[in-house]
Amino acid sequence: MIYPKLAFDGIRKNKRLYLPYILTCVGMVTMTYIIDYLHYSKTVSEMKDGSIIGEILYLGNLVIAFFSCIFLFYTNSFIIKRRKKEFGLYNILGMGKHNLAMIILWETAIVAAISIIAGLAFGILLSKFAELVLLNIIDFGINRQYDISVPAVIDVTLIFLGIFALLLINSIRQIRFSTAINLLKSESLGEKPPKANWFLGIAGIALLGVAYYLAVTITNPLAAITTFFFAVLMVIAGTYLVMISGSVMFCRLLQKFKGYYYRPNHFVSVSSMAFRMKRNGAGLASICILATMVLVMISSTSSLYFGEEEALMIRYPREINAEIQMDGIENLSEEKIAMTKKVIDEAAEKSGVQISNEISYTAAQVTGILNDGVVETDVTSYVMPDLAEIEKGLYVFYFVPLEEYNRIYGTRDTLESGEAMVYCYRGELGLDEISFNNGNTFKIVKNLDAFYLDGDATMMMFPSIVLVVDDLEEALGGLLSLADFNGDRMVTTQWVYNFDTGLDPDGQVAATANIWEALKELDKTEYGIYSRSLSGREDSRREFMELYGGLFFLGIMLSIVFLFAAVLIIYYKQISEGYEDCGRFGIMKKVGMTDRDIRKSINSQLLTVFFLPLVFAALHLFFAFPIVKKLLMLFNLNNISETNFFAIVCIACFAVFAVLYTLVYKVTSASYYRIVSGRKEDAR
Amino acid sequence: MSILEVNGIRKVYSSRLGGNKVEALKNVSFSVEKGEFVAIMGESGSGKTTLLNILAALDKPTGGSVVLDGLNLSKIKDSSLAQFRRDNLGFVFQEFNLLDTFTIEDNIYLPLVLSGKPYREMEERLRPIAAKLGIPGLLKQYPYEVSGGQKQRAAVARAMITYPKLILADEPTGALDSKASDELLRLFSEVNMLGQTVLMVTHSVKAASVAGRVMFIKDGEVFHQIYRGDDTNQEFYQRISDTLTAIATGGDEK
Repeated sequence: MIYPKLAFDGIRKNKRLYLPYILTCVGMVTMTYIIDYLHYSKTVSEMKDGSIIGEILYLGNLVIAFFSCIFLFYTNSFIIKRRKKEFGLYNILGMGKHNLAMIILWETAIVAAISIIAGLAFGILLSKFAELVLLNIIDFGINRQYDISVPAVIDVTLIFLGIFALLLINSIRQIRFSTAINLLKSESLGEKPPKANWFLGIAGIALLGVAYYLAVTITNPLAAITTFFFAVLMVIAGTYLVMISGSVMFCRLLQKFKGYYYRPNHFVSVSSMAFRMKRNGAGLASICILATMVLVMISSTSSLYFGEEEALMIRYPREINAEIQMDGIENLSEEKIAMTKKVIDEAAEKSGVQISNEISYTAAQVTGILNDGVVETDVTSYVMPDLAEIEKGLYVFYFVPLEEYNRIYGTRDTLESGEAMVYCYRGELGLDEISFNNGNTFKIVKNLDAFYLDGDATMMMFPSIVLVVDDLEEALGGLLSLADFNGDRMVTTQWVYNFDTGLDPDGQVAATANIWEALKELDKTEYGIYSRSLSGREDSRREFMELYGGLFFLGIMLSIVFLFAAVLIIYYKQISEGYEDCGRFGIMKKVGMTDRDIRKSINSQLLTVFFLPLVFAALHLFFAFPIVKKLLMLFNLNNISETNFFAIVCIACFAVFAVLYTLVYKVTSASYYRIVSGRKEDAR
Repeated sequence: MSILEVNGIRKVYSSRLGGNKVEALKNVSFSVEKGEFVAIMGESGSGKTTLLNILAALDKPTGGSVVLDGLNLSKIKDSSLAQFRRDNLGFVFQEFNLLDTFTIEDNIYLPLVLSGKPYREMEERLRPIAAKLGIPGLLKQYPYEVSGGQKQRAAVARAMITYPKLILADEPTGALDSKASDELLRLFSEVNMLGQTVLMVTHSVKAASVAGRVMFIKDGEVFHQIYRGDDTNQEFYQRISDTLTAIATGGDEK
């Protein structure tokens, strides 16, 4: 049995290469198991909204499995490249391709066995801890039972056996199609001088520019979803192009300025930089993308998590919120409303509620597409609008009587017929006049800074416009007679009644239930009610916590995986450069550079190359900021823009990341210098 | 007037623990006159490379002194050694030692750039040298794109461009085929005719036969030396080869 021995020797002798690789495999297996474990976990499925978390975790699982596959391919190709020389030697010594394949098979099997077994062991050890973290994040009771999830073990084993099988096929394919001499020389290949590809370099810069422009100019949060997707793709492509071609192009450009280039401190740096970038462009771009992903993910999910309370407040402005749709404008009368109010108030009182901070107003609501100041209300598909329509300008219009507005805000504004005061939620209007097809035209006399919207409006995907008008019925006019396919009225009329209770959370939940019981019993015809809804803030807190906490947890887990990957790419970059640089080191010394000069020059190059991704990541984050903020608005984090909460989170995340990154740099550059100086002694 | 004086240098390498001592050079003394072309011959392990490293100020002797143009190398501070090498010495190596990150032209400029010479001056210096070495057409190419002989000519250009007092060549023909070797040796003797002092370490009789004087090193000492006198290359080749045979067979009797 010579193959296992050769395979073991191969791994042991190249431990500088294999150790980080195996560690990564173990890490990936561990992460996949933990997330899969939580996905199957009873504790999670027992949660009130366990399905939300379950979905999120399942999604995360897919992402990690897919990413593991790509990333392990990347690191494995690196190892194969360096091992080819050894295989070439075996080949010359008389081993056929078949024998080499056997060695590779054994090596892969050993690595796979170690990774899966150790990964599962760590996963099982850490899964409970991860569960505790998750439960803590979403503020759920603690489960003290310790268990191993068999389906998760099976899933993970199958996933990674699959990945390793693919890696094996790829390695064998590479050996198969090269000759012994190619294998021996493979390490010194790829030393051709980098040519600046102007087209690709400029294309990369252009792509980044367009993506940045899109991100900055976006105004509609909904359009932000699709734009964000395209911008991300463009930024990824742009980053790769700029790092690979753009940087070489830049060095070549510098070389054209003879007065600059032929100076002692520029000469060596500029020309070696071109080589360094050519070798590392893809790796650096990957680091940059990973860094950006980590930063965006962590800053947005943590914003969501820490802004959860605020979002809850916006969605549920008061502790108990009732919204009653009256059956037509004729039922939106003081009399009918007073009847319903009495029922609610009585039920509330019985539950010990002391009504305070009461908000009560009537409004009419209609949906339409706004285009050039004209609203087309005959939209039959507004129930399930598609994105294209929303981007065309789909809005929800609320008509609120002036009288009610003045009462809520304690103002004494006056309006003529045909005039309106306007508040636009999630968007900007900038119009002087707004007119409704089949309805009336309003002159906008005042833009309002705020209006107390009920929670439903904040849940809508599309923006809302509030028009405060003198008289509701007159203002709606012809709109009142519009009907949709089913013959239902297009204008809905509602009464909003929200108040605080002065009760503790449990009391609030009980009160909400009691009031709902009373409300449910009401006779629709007698009370003129079309539909009714009631929501309690405390009832929904759980759901919010789970959704936002689940996202935050997944953000942390994915960030750990991506960081892992970034660190490993950095490590391999340093090592491969170390091997390639030590020859150059010697020559420069002989030609008349001092040790210190060389170190200084190389150090500055390493630093530049190293911090380039960080700088780009910061730039990406900076430009992603406005668009991510818009996306967060869809999660009710709109006040964030005013408090700069998100900006602070972003900066904090970046600072932590930069510190980590520098730490990794210190550690990996130490191994770089070890290689460079080690080889120098051998050569002597 | 001698440009290089080597007085009784010794070099002892000790193993890391200080136990085993190896004496690479015992007692080497010789001098090189200005405009001379000297070849140093010896077998592997005779101390040739150690000697060259000491002459190049890449290594320090355990004892004795090296004086280049009146300047004692051991008196130069470590910090200015690199500059001293750049300004006074030119190097030609067996493996060319061109940096693959530079074009041929930039490789040749390297020592001048390091000394902070302006671009215009570098260009003026390069033109005649490139013409003499027959490489004007290769200047914009990269080392990997040209042949071994062309690389070595570029390396010679790099050695000459600083107008060094002494060119040190370490097995310059070692990695070349016979045609490229002949070409390079012809270049060396032409350069020497123009007054350039050259010191070459080699174990190729062919290479040594173009020199004006050949020193033989054995076991860390200058064992013997012969002058060309009026010999043709052919005749000198014969004498060198005879001497080598004599040293190899009866050398121990001395």
